[in-house]
Amino acid sequence: MTSTISRPPTTGDSPASPRASETLTFRQRVSRFDVRASPYLYIAPFFVLFAITGLFPLVYTFVVSLHDWELLAGQGDFVGIANFQEVLGDRFFWNSIRNTLSIFLLSTVPQLAFALILAAILDQALKAKTFWRMSILLPYVVTPVAVALIFSSMFNETSGLFNNLLGAVGIDPVQWKHDVLASHVAIATMVNWRWTGYNALILLAAMQAVPRDLHESAAIDGAGAVRRFFSITVPSIRPTLVFVVITMTMGGLQIFAEPRLFDVSNAGGIGGSDRQFQTTVLYLWEMAFFRQDFGKASAIAWLLFLLIVGIGLINFMISKRIATAENRHIKASTAKKLSGRRS
Amino acid sequence: MRISRRKKSAVLAGAAAFALIATGCSSGGGGGDSADDGTTLTVTTFNAMGFEDLYTEYEEANPGITIEANNIDTGGNARTDAFTKIAAGSGLADVTAIEEGWLGSIMEVSDQFVDLTEYGIEDRAGDWVDWKYEQATDPDGRVIGYGTDIGPEGMCFNGPALEAAGIPSDREGFAAYLGGADATWEKFFDVGREYQEATGKAWYDQSGFVWNAMVNQLDEGYYTADGELNVEGNAELEERWTWLTDAAADGLSAAEAEWDWNTGKSFTDQTFATFVCPGWMLANLKGSLEAGGGDASTGWDFADVFPGGPANWGGAFLAVPETSEHPEEAAALASWLTEPEQQVKAFEAAGTFPSTIAAQEELASAGATDPILNDAPTGAILAERAIGVTAQFKGPDDSLIQENVFGPPLDKIDRGEATADEAWQEALTLLDELVG
Repeated sequence: MTSTISRPPTTGDSPASPRASETLTFRQRVSRFDVRASPYLYIAPFFVLFAITGLFPLVYTFVVSLHDWELLAGQGDFVGIANFQEVLGDRFFWNSIRNTLSIFLLSTVPQLAFALILAAILDQALKAKTFWRMSILLPYVVTPVAVALIFSSMFNETSGLFNNLLGAVGIDPVQWKHDVLASHVAIATMVNWRWTGYNALILLAAMQAVPRDLHESAAIDGAGAVRRFFSITVPSIRPTLVFVVITMTMGGLQIFAEPRLFDVSNAGGIGGSDRQFQTTVLYLWEMAFFRQDFGKASAIAWLLFLLIVGIGLINFMISKRIATAENRHIKASTAKKLSGRRS
Repeated sequence: MRISRRKKSAVLAGAAAFALIATGCSSGGGGGDSADDGTTLTVTTFNAMGFEDLYTEYEEANPGITIEANNIDTGGNARTDAFTKIAAGSGLADVTAIEEGWLGSIMEVSDQFVDLTEYGIEDRAGDWVDWKYEQATDPDGRVIGYGTDIGPEGMCFNGPALEAAGIPSDREGFAAYLGGADATWEKFFDVGREYQEATGKAWYDQSGFVWNAMVNQLDEGYYTADGELNVEGNAELEERWTWLTDAAADGLSAAEAEWDWNTGKSFTDQTFATFVCPGWMLANLKGSLEAGGGDASTGWDFADVFPGGPANWGGAFLAVPETSEHPEEAAALASWLTEPEQQVKAFEAAGTFPSTIAAQEELASAGATDPILNDAPTGAILAERAIGVTAQFKGPDDSLIQENVFGPPLDKIDRGEATADEAWQEALTLLDELVG
């Protein structure tokens, strides 16, 4: 060995260590590996779990949807896209899509409006703030099954609470469990009762981050409470509103427990005697566990998945547009402010 | 070494979590062993089968056996539960109750259940009425279920309601008025029209149960004995459809929500006067009556008569799934639960009429009466109603046809939203779409 110990070894003059990396100690190598690989390891649990609980079922469901597949007898012949074709030509499938979208609209729109109003009220200087905030979250704590049972009793056609109240003011009893629109309103009511408070709290959190001086200066300029709400509060919480709308979309298109338990025994609980309030998830359930056709049920699951992805994408584009519009708005106002200062 | 309190609770929490996972897994496998070499058997029943006290009795007589019982509210929900677990390949209780209505589906996968001839069910074959034992035998000669109850049907009626219309309101008088042993559906509906004209009220609760009774008492129902679909062009069904839809059009149906009956209130206020009653339905009637705030004074009674002759609705079997870890103990328990002596006790608890001959004879002679049902000798009446009942072949989609093919059109008939022909055509369309 000609090289001195004090000099760092170079590639050329040390045959024992032809490359620099190999001169690193074990500890150093571990450390380098640590730096490179650790971030991936830290996020790995999510992706491993997702692969097991999300990706695998997704792919497997697709495989099932391409076969004749009976609930009890199991896998049958490969049939290609026949299941999808049959489901797309099935009037009950389109009926379930109509019901889902109708219930979705009836629950999303009022829910958003009420959540906004509730949040605005809670955003005021109230006494016992925590008490009020916890109170509106209370319905969310109750399980959907309990909510469905209580409400289906209240919507009972013969002598339920709502029909009794309507009778007291001279209105004929409503056929909550047979009339299409009335049943949708009833189910949307359950969904709204459960989720309005939850969404109000999220919106409230966003409202609290709105700078108070904006409100104060607007108030000095003579803007009333309503004007300030629409011109300051709502624009400021737009990103949160978009988030709430997207989560509502995903939940709203997958409503199951409420229609399933609304009229439990009629026609086996598949969503009304004439499928008046059968949502797509409930139709999927009927296909899988009533009619025992897993192949078609899987096809429905995939079509529902595509529908949710589609609506999700629309939401995403809208939210993107809103976000950029907002940026432009902010840029414009900053520019205005700056130019104002300059003058 | 001392463990700080915080650490201790963390250790405890960890242990508890682990225990949860461990028990979660073992119960999925159909009952795990408890300590001391004991055996835990899981049992899943539905509706009211009257087994609760029997479990305790069995545990006392068999030290080391622990029974974990789970009762599902209706047969329909029990079907979903059982099908899901068969499809998943695990989770069925060691002893699983199967309803006659969906036995046809189970028979398609009868190899998922233990052949009970391996545990000596053949020695007891003579205990049951012939057709009950035959129903539980699959085409390969394997027997997969111990018969519990059968559902011979009699007619429940509200005495005070009939009295108001001037119709004989005592058990014997009403039975004779309907024609006694020769009672027909036409006669039943004619008496109903008489009642309706006198009181303006409905005669029976809703058409679904009546239709079910009519179909069940035919030699061949929705399927022929060879397992072929037998609905379209079936003259017997069409004839009965006409009787029933005419009756509903005349206002004889109360169009009640089945299994709910306005949370039982309709039993208390004479919304309807008659109700088809298989043995096990008596418990439902009494439960609904109680839920609606009624009692013995409401005047419900049980008559030894049924239009159209003997009919059977429902009844159950106890099966042992192949996934059970203790098939021998499970079979022993299921066998014991269906012995004549226990069947009599189950009848006393829940009104489920026994499927074994010795138990039927005992009930027929004992003459025990039911105080809620105007002291009707229910056991003796059901024993009479069971004479002449035969098994009808139940196809794989029998319960689906009953509930989802004929249920919706009958609902429309009851509510006056469709004519008889429209509803029949809808049923055929639904049959084509759902069963194909």
